[in-house]
Order: sequence, then C-alpha cells, then structure tokens
Amino acid sequence: MIWIYLLILIALSAAAFLGGRELARRRAIGAKPHSRPGQHGAYALIWVAAPALLVLILASVFSAPLQRQLTAVGTPDAVAALEHFRRDAFFADAHRVGRGEPALQIWERPLAEHLPVEARRMVRIERTLSWGGGIAAILAAILGGLFALTQIKPQTRARNRVEGWIYGALFVCSAIAVLTTLGIIASLAFDSFRFFQKVPILDFLFGTQWSPQIAIRADQVGSSGAFGAVPLFAGTLLIMVIAMCVAAPIGLFSAIYLSEYAGRTTRAVIKPLLEILAGVPTVVYGFFAALTVGPLLRVFFNEIGLFLIGGPLDGLGQYLALVQNQMALTAGAVMGIMLIPFVSSLSDDILNAVPQSLRDGSFAMGATKSETVKRVLLPAALPGIAGALLLAVSRAIGETMIVTMAAGLAANLTFNPLDTVTTVTVQIVTLLTGDQEFNSAKTLSAFGLGLTLFLVTLVLNIIAHRIVQTYREQYD
Amino acid sequence: MTDATPDRIDGVAAKGRLDRLRAGLKRRHAKETRFKWYGRLAIAAAMLFLAVLLVRIVEQGHTAFYTHTVTVPVYMDPARIDRAYPQGSNFEQLAAEQQLARMGIQDDAAGTRAAQMKRLFSSELKFVAADLVSKRSEVIGETVPLAVPLSDDADLYLKGEISKDTPEDQRRLTDQQIAWLDRMQTEGVIGSHFNTALFTNGDSTQPELAGVLGAVVGSALMLMVTALIAIPLGVGAAIWLEEFAPKNKLTDIIEVNINNLAAVPSIVYGLLGLALFINWMHLPRASPIVGGLVLALMALPTLVIATRSALKAVPPSIREAALAMGASKTQTVFSHVLPLAMPGVMTGAIISMAHALGETAPLLLIGMVSFVPGVPAAIDQPVGALPSLIYIWENASERAFHERTAAAIIVLLVFMIIMNAAAIILRRRFERRW
Amino acid sequence: MKFRIFRSAEDQTGAGPVDPTETPRMGGQVLPEVTPSKARAGAEPRLEDATPVSNATVVDSPPVGPIKIAARDVSVFYEGKQALYDVSLDIPDKTVTALIGPSGCGKSTFLRTMNRMNDTIAGAKVTGRIAMDDEDINDRSIDPVLLRARVGMVFQRPNPFPKSIYENVAYGPKIHGLVSSKAEMDDVVEKALKRAGLWEEVADRLQSSAMGLSGGQQQRLVIARAIAVNPEVILMDEPCSALDPIATARIEELIDELRERFCIVIVTHSMAQAARVSQRTAFFHMGRLVETGDTEDIFQNPRERRTLDYITGRFG
Repeated sequence: MIWIYLLILIALSAAAFLGGRELARRRAIGAKPHSRPGQHGAYALIWVAAPALLVLILASVFSAPLQRQLTAVGTPDAVAALEHFRRDAFFADAHRVGRGEPALQIWERPLAEHLPVEARRMVRIERTLSWGGGIAAILAAILGGLFALTQIKPQTRARNRVEGWIYGALFVCSAIAVLTTLGIIASLAFDSFRFFQKVPILDFLFGTQWSPQIAIRADQVGSSGAFGAVPLFAGTLLIMVIAMCVAAPIGLFSAIYLSEYAGRTTRAVIKPLLEILAGVPTVVYGFFAALTVGPLLRVFFNEIGLFLIGGPLDGLGQYLALVQNQMALTAGAVMGIMLIPFVSSLSDDILNAVPQSLRDGSFAMGATKSETVKRVLLPAALPGIAGALLLAVSRAIGETMIVTMAAGLAANLTFNPLDTVTTVTVQIVTLLTGDQEFNSAKTLSAFGLGLTLFLVTLVLNIIAHRIVQTYREQYD
Repeated sequence: MTDATPDRIDGVAAKGRLDRLRAGLKRRHAKETRFKWYGRLAIAAAMLFLAVLLVRIVEQGHTAFYTHTVTVPVYMDPARIDRAYPQGSNFEQLAAEQQLARMGIQDDAAGTRAAQMKRLFSSELKFVAADLVSKRSEVIGETVPLAVPLSDDADLYLKGEISKDTPEDQRRLTDQQIAWLDRMQTEGVIGSHFNTALFTNGDSTQPELAGVLGAVVGSALMLMVTALIAIPLGVGAAIWLEEFAPKNKLTDIIEVNINNLAAVPSIVYGLLGLALFINWMHLPRASPIVGGLVLALMALPTLVIATRSALKAVPPSIREAALAMGASKTQTVFSHVLPLAMPGVMTGAIISMAHALGETAPLLLIGMVSFVPGVPAAIDQPVGALPSLIYIWENASERAFHERTAAAIIVLLVFMIIMNAAAIILRRRFERRW
Repeated sequence: MKFRIFRSAEDQTGAGPVDPTETPRMGGQVLPEVTPSKARAGAEPRLEDATPVSNATVVDSPPVGPIKIAARDVSVFYEGKQALYDVSLDIPDKTVTALIGPSGCGKSTFLRTMNRMNDTIAGAKVTGRIAMDDEDINDRSIDPVLLRARVGMVFQRPNPFPKSIYENVAYGPKIHGLVSSKAEMDDVVEKALKRAGLWEEVADRLQSSAMGLSGGQQQRLVIARAIAVNPEVILMDEPCSALDPIATARIEELIDELRERFCIVIVTHSMAQAARVSQRTAFFHMGRLVETGDTEDIFQNPRERRTLDYITGRFG
C-alpha cells in the first residue's frame, strides 16, 4: 500500500515542480524576478513532498501502536480476560483469519465465536488506518502545493527559501544521530524499568546467582529465576582481560615497529594485511574460535593433564584433562586477535602524532631507536595510547559473536581462564533468541543487561575520546 | 680524542668519558636488536593469526564446493506407486532395494540393509522421483536413471572426513555402508562434481541440499534498505556538520553524540531494533526492512565520520573561490565541494556497507536466527542473512554443516573483498592531491 | 654598539631589542666595521676587493688553530636528488663557525652530515669524507650513537621532551650510562643548567614539566641537555629562529661563552647573528659552498659576487 502512496507522491511532486516552474515563468513576464523559474519549481516541489512525507512517516511509525490501542478498546470481555501472551496470540490469529488464512491455534468456545468477529474488526481498523494515512498524506501534499502556488511571485525569494529547506533537511539528518541515541536510551530504559520493578536493581547489580531459566528457591524474585549479574560481569571482565593481554602487547609492538622501524615497502605490505584482519566479520572469528582455537587449546591442556595425572600434580592433571572447548581462554584469545589491528592502527596514529622534532632531539643526543621509543615517544604518547586501549576495552566488552559462539552459557563466578564463563552479551543473545514471552522477567532482564552494557561502554568511550582529544590538541 | 683537559668538566666528567660511552654500547645495541625483534615478532604473530584463520577456513570449506551424486536406475514399479498421489510413494525404499539387488546383496527379514542403503541417498531422491512421475506418468513401469546427491554422511566419507579407522560405534556410517560406498564408487555409480546446489538453493535442514542463495538475497535486500537510508542521511549529516553547522552547544552535542554512537556495541542496536521496530512499530520480525533499518542506524556514525573527512580534504580555497563568484553557500557546497569530495564519500559508503554486511549480533536479536527455507523476494518477509546463516550452520549438529559454514564464510569474505576492492579502486582512480 | 649594517628582517629581530646603552659582550670578537653612512644610503660595499664570479673554485683563507672537523667533497642526495655538491670545509676547534646562505642552500643539510642525522631520513645518501679528529665519521666502524654523544645538536624549534626539566638534562647521561649515582647526576644536571645560564631560573622547579618554560628557556634547556653529555662539537640549526629578540640575545651570549669549551657550528639566516657570534663563516648557495673565511673578512671583503649580494640583502 505504501508503495502506491509513494508513487502518487512522486507524481504529485513532479507535477508541482513543472507547474511551479511554468507559473513562475508566466508571472515573471514584465517583472524582474528575484529567483529563476527552476528555483520556484523546486520550492513548489518541496512544499508538496515535505508535508506529505512527514505525514507518511508519522503514519507508519504510529499506525501499529494506534492499531493496538484501537483493537484493545472494543475487545470482548472474554478476550480481555486472557493472559497477556495468550491475548497477543489471539489477535495474531484474528489477523490471520482476517487475511483469509487459517488460524494457528484452536480456540475454545467463547473465543472461537469471537474470532471471526474480531478478525473483521481488525481488518476494518487496519484498512481505516491505512486509508487514513494515505489520504492525510495526499491532503497534506495538496495543501502544501496550493500554498506554494500562491507564493510564486516575481519578488518571492524562492532560492533563499529552497536553501532554507535544504539547510533544515541537512540539520534533520544530523539530528537523527541524537534521535538514535535517545531511541537507544528510551528503548533500553523503558524495558529495564519494567525489569527493575520485578527484580530490585541492587539484587541485579550485586547478586552472585544468575539462572534466569529456573527458579532456585520458591520465593525467588521474579519467580522465574535468579538475576544476580555479578557472574556475568566477572565473565565479561575475565574474557576482556585475556583479550587485552593478547591485543595490547602485539598491537602496540606492531604499531611501534610499523611507525618507527619499518621501511616504506614493509608498511605498504603489512598495513593492508592488518586491515584485512580488521575487516574480518566477528562471526568468522567466532567460527574460528569454536572450531579451531577451542579444540586446539582443549587438546593442548588435556595432553598436559594426562601427562600430569598420577604424578605429584595429580589434582591439576585431573582438572586439565577435563578442560572444555568453551573455556574463557578460547574466546579471550580470539577476541584478542580481533583487537590487534584495532589497537595497532590507533596506536600507530597516536605515535605518528608525536612531533618528529622529539625523535630528532633524542637521536641527536645519541639515543638508539628503542631508547627513543621507550624514553621519549611512549611517555609522550602515553595518554593517547591509554585512550586507544580504553576504546579496545570497550570493544571487547561489547563484542558478541565470538563469545556467543565460543564461550559457554554457565554463569560461573570465577577468574580461572580455563573455566567456562558467560558474558553479558552472550546472555542477551540467549535470552532474546529462544521462545520469548514478553513481560517475563527473563526477557526483560536482557534489556537490563543491555542498559548496563550501553552505559559502561558509553562512559569508557567518552573518557577515551576525551583523553585522545586532549592528547592530540597538545601537539596541534 | 684526548679530552682530559681540565676545562672539559661541565656536564659529565671528562675523564674516561669515551671509555664509559664505549663500554655501554654493546649492551645498548643488544637491547636495540631485541626491541626490534619484539616488533617483528608482534607483526609476525598478527600475520600468523591471519594466515591460520584464512587457511583454516579454506581448509575446512573447500570440500563443500564439490559434492557427490549417485546415479541409480530405478524401476518405477507400478505396484508400489500411487498414480493419484505420487508424493506419498516410498521411492527411497524402492531405489534402495533395487540397488541392493543389483549389488547382489540379500536383505534380511527386518529390511535393515535396505534401510541402511536408503540412508546413503539424500531425501531429495523422493522429490526428484515424485516430480518426475507427476509430470510424466508414462515413466511408471519403466526403469529411469535418477541422479541424486548422496546423503551428507556418505558425502563426508567420500571426502575423507569420516575415517574407516574410527570405531564403528563412533561414526555415523556402519562398516557395511562404507563397504557399499567403496563398491559403488569403483563401479562408477557415484560421481563427484561442482556443488551447484550450494549457490542455487536456499537453506535446508538437509546439509546436502542446503545453499547460501537465500541468505545472499536476504543480505542483498537488507543492504539495499541500509544503503537507501544510511547514505543520504549520513552524507546529509556530514554536510551539515562540516559546512553549515554554527559553532554552538547543539553542534557540539551532535558531534560528541556521533563519535560515541560509532563505538556503541552492535548488540545494543539489536536491542533498539527489537524494542522499537518489532515490539513497538510491529514491523515484521526478521524481515530485510527491520534488518536494514538497524544496520542503517549502526552504519550512520561511521558514514558521517568518513564523509566529513572527505569534505575536509577539499581545500577551503575552492569554497572561497565559489563564494567569491557570487554562489550561495548551498550552491557552493552542492555544485563545487560535494562533487570534489564524491570519491571519498563513495569510498566511505562502500566500506561502511561492507562492514554492515558482516555484522551479525543485531540480526540475531531481530529474529534472524530461525530457519528460513527457500529464497526470499520481499522486504517484509522473514529472511536469512549471510552472517546469521553462518551462525545457524555453525550451531547445527550435522558435521556436514561445518564445511558448509566455512564455505558460507568464504562466500561472505569474497563479497567483502569485492566491496573493499571497489573502494580501493575508486580511491586510487579518483584520488586527488591538493 | 648597534648593528646598523644589515637590514634584512632577521637583523631587525636579532639586533633591535639589545639595549643600545649596553655594550654587548662579544667575547672580544672583532665586529665588522662598515661606515654607517653607507648602509643608510643603501649603497653597496666597495667592489674593488670582490673578484668577479668565478666558477666554483673556492679561494679561502685557512683557519688558524687546530682543525676539529675536516669535510672533503661532501655531497648529499635525497632520494636521488642532489642537495649538496662537493663541499670541502675545515672547521676549527673552540671556534664558532657560522653557515650562512639563502634558504634551501644546503647549509642545514651540511650541518646534519656532521652527526649523521641524515641516517634517520629514509632515502638520504652522503658521499665524500668527513673527518673528525682524523677519523672518518661515515666509516662503518663508527657507531652513530657514539658519534652523536660526541657531536651534540640543537634544532630550530626548541624540542624539550615532555618530561621534567631535570629529566630532560639527565636524558643524555642516563642513556649513555655516563653517571653512576644520583648525586653525580644531580651534579651533572646542575652544572649543565648553570653552563646554559638557566640554573637561576629553574633551580626551584627542576621537577616541573619542561613544556611550561618559555621558548627561550626551552632552547637554553635543550642546549643544557646537549652539553650535559659533554660533547666535543655542538651543532646548532638556526637556534634562534623561533625566539623573540631578548631570548635571542641571551642565546647568542651563551654561544659566545660556550665557544671556550666546544667547537660550535651554527646555521643562521641572520647576517647580523653570524657577524655577532661567529669567528668563521661559510657561505652556501644552491647546494654549493661559495666562500669561507674569517667572519670579518667575509663581511668586509667578500671575494665572491654572490656573497656580496647576499650579505647586502640582494637576495635571500
């Protein structure tokens, strides 16, 4: 349906442009117009397209919630009495019946009678909304067009007005960024708020039991499980630390070598290769972790374990022999590999921002390159590098696919890299990809985790950007 | 160098200075060499990881690009085929029994041998045969050669992925099945060829029938939506920030905002998509329109940053020249600055689209984890996407999906390489030095 | 005494702020004497003594005293492009030698060959022989690290490290392992700072950042850093070009004091500065050494037409 409206709109806009141009040409006869006819045409076009588009966008954004509201108003009591998710299923079936498809479920007596009635009512509401939106849009287009036609006079500053519109449109583009942030905050905060009504925020932040699927005690809050997120935070932290142990030294030393030692050809070869490493999608890293690195590490530790069993370190051997693919080390190591190019390219930029005069000064004192790097460049670049590492940390915390595919689901509170841990992102994916019942604490907890994740990474990013910014300004 | 003159004693004492200098040199140069090696090792490690990653994927995935087909002559026994409803006939059983008979093997009373033989053929056999019969009913009573894929396990054995040396109870093929496969291969009944099904089929629960086409189309539809939304918005925002924005608090907020959005974890965008587009706006779950919207919001900040740097690279003298000629600010930007910045803008756009193509986490949250058979064609129907297909296949229990996962990764990487190469060529071709 | 002879822009900044009532102490150096009226009238120095432009045969008055650095046929190439052509120059010890010439003439390039700073530039190549105390510094056996500990350098813009004042001065002795105790280091730092005339200004804030010092102080700190390792030669690449006139005057005074202990080579844009601080002057033009001699001679009786044109401000 929306396509038809869009087509009509395009046709109306084109007509407005041509008509406006022609009109301007005619009215300009004998006068000294301010703007050219084409600019008047563009002005008319904008007045036709912009209001109509606005109406269409508003209609498509608000029609679904409006439809729900309208449907809810006239609901028969039997339907209104249903549980939330049953009611949703009923309306979904009514929708299907309305479109002439068979219902998915078999509804018992009072409901089965309501179904075709409700189906017709839903179709009516939907059609009304659809037609209403379209007619409102066309009306807006016509009104806008009429207004524009009255404005086409030789003395009208059509060019300036068109430019004003362009300016406004460009500003709206930028404002989308702010709207996105607001959207993220609103959607996370809204569902998180509902979650924290069921589970106290302190229990969530400081509880050490995480088992959203099964209730541990009968009197458990949320009555579906335990929602203490500390094991997730610990797991996230553990994997992040392992990742940084891999990425920070390798990335930093690569950057130092590339910016201080490597010749032009080496750089020309290595840098694109690092970019390839950076461009590999995370799902590919996840596959690599799950099917290559995990088994490799497991076999390695199991062999050591088998070797130790029976010896003086028998206990350790027993433990190592049973290490799993999903140990924290697997996900951490692969995430570290993923972050190498990120750390390296950021550090490379930072090192290149250190003025050449400092290098010259150090070399002229008789310092070797490594002494220059260690005693002058790194101390000078330290804040910048710290900022770069913070950005990498933020990446590691928010990374999802590697951990989802290579880390476990067991929420163990441990700092042993050979144990299985789970992370915030893994739990979000797990909670939201199974069968979900909306409004259950289990589903809503994913939004609580998401909000925590968003806030933590946001703070890290703000700090990191601030540090890097101050650092760069120092040498500008 | 006799520098023991008494007046040379400011700074370091002159006596024995050179000796002291020389004494430290060896140690210092050793340190230097070591340090340089740390750098080399770091680079070597990074390169090694890249090489292992790519080699492993090719190693695991290359076998998926060919497959085995068995050609069995099937006597379309009129007694066992229902003319009215051929789909209901057990063609697999028919083919298996006849194949056993041809190989001179007597089935036991329970029919276990035929059942085992049946498991060597893909279930595709049934559909091929039923299709043939319903189209040409005259084949009933004749013997027709049917070419169908081998089942995934049989295929894996012929590719060497299942070893004869594994104890029988630990592999998915019995000794007997393996012996039959060996015999059929020597008899020339089984042939290997390029796996076209991988590129012409949608997803399937049968590994030997599963292909990436559905996901490729899904990804393409999604990227189309993303590009249509993100590129105009991103370029517009960049133009405003770079050329028009007044220096005030609001502009600062927008700039900081964009920088921070670029670093928001992708899964958060998935949550946004789930809450806003699916639960609130009731857009269809797992559809390209929702996926495209989410990816567009995610790609927006990087696109803005890339476009801004392209605009920044246009020297101010161009703007001044245009303004001095009496062009308005808008005319200057749209007819002089933007065309000059276009190669940079396009490069940034392509790279961010390539990035969006590989993004997975948000897709999982908007429902692209479920099995979608076939090839989609609409932007409001559930689809699969390449990265989510990789995730689904990686999670599948059948071993034959592992090689296909790697193959799907190869397809994804090839698309990304093509996009990045296009960006590089564009940059090289139109690169301007001011 | 006022310097009224040379009227290029640098001269103004170089000489202007020096209190005319105070007689600058120029280390007993004889300053060029030219009658004021001539300069005011814009007239040229007499040409009787200047030989017509000859083709590159340099007739020089040899320096007196022991030679510290002897350069023979030194050429420098950057990525195949020649920047310096067959320069042969003797630099005497305990003297200030000024390298002058228009920008891009190769004087800085030549300066950088003397501590092999060109090694740090990719694609730079040096040919010819530069001997310091009869040792070829480009010889394979010479370690540039050691060489630079013997030949210090001060750059155009002050480039203190973003560390404390103390650490800046202690940098050289520390990396070269020249001191063995904290007390010794304190002593070295204090002496170097005193020698650079900075001690009084910074004695009470040795641990604060060097970036907080003024430009002139930073440049003196950099000189202190260079002399802390007690080099034999100090190279200065337009050390005052980024400084205000007062700071310039202080650096010039410092150079004059340091001359008693070090062999100093200074590149300068400013004729007046060359005249004030140096005893020997070498004039470079288009990558070639045009003329060298005692500063006094060069300024009063240039033998080359190009030298004359340059020092009178015809080009530059």
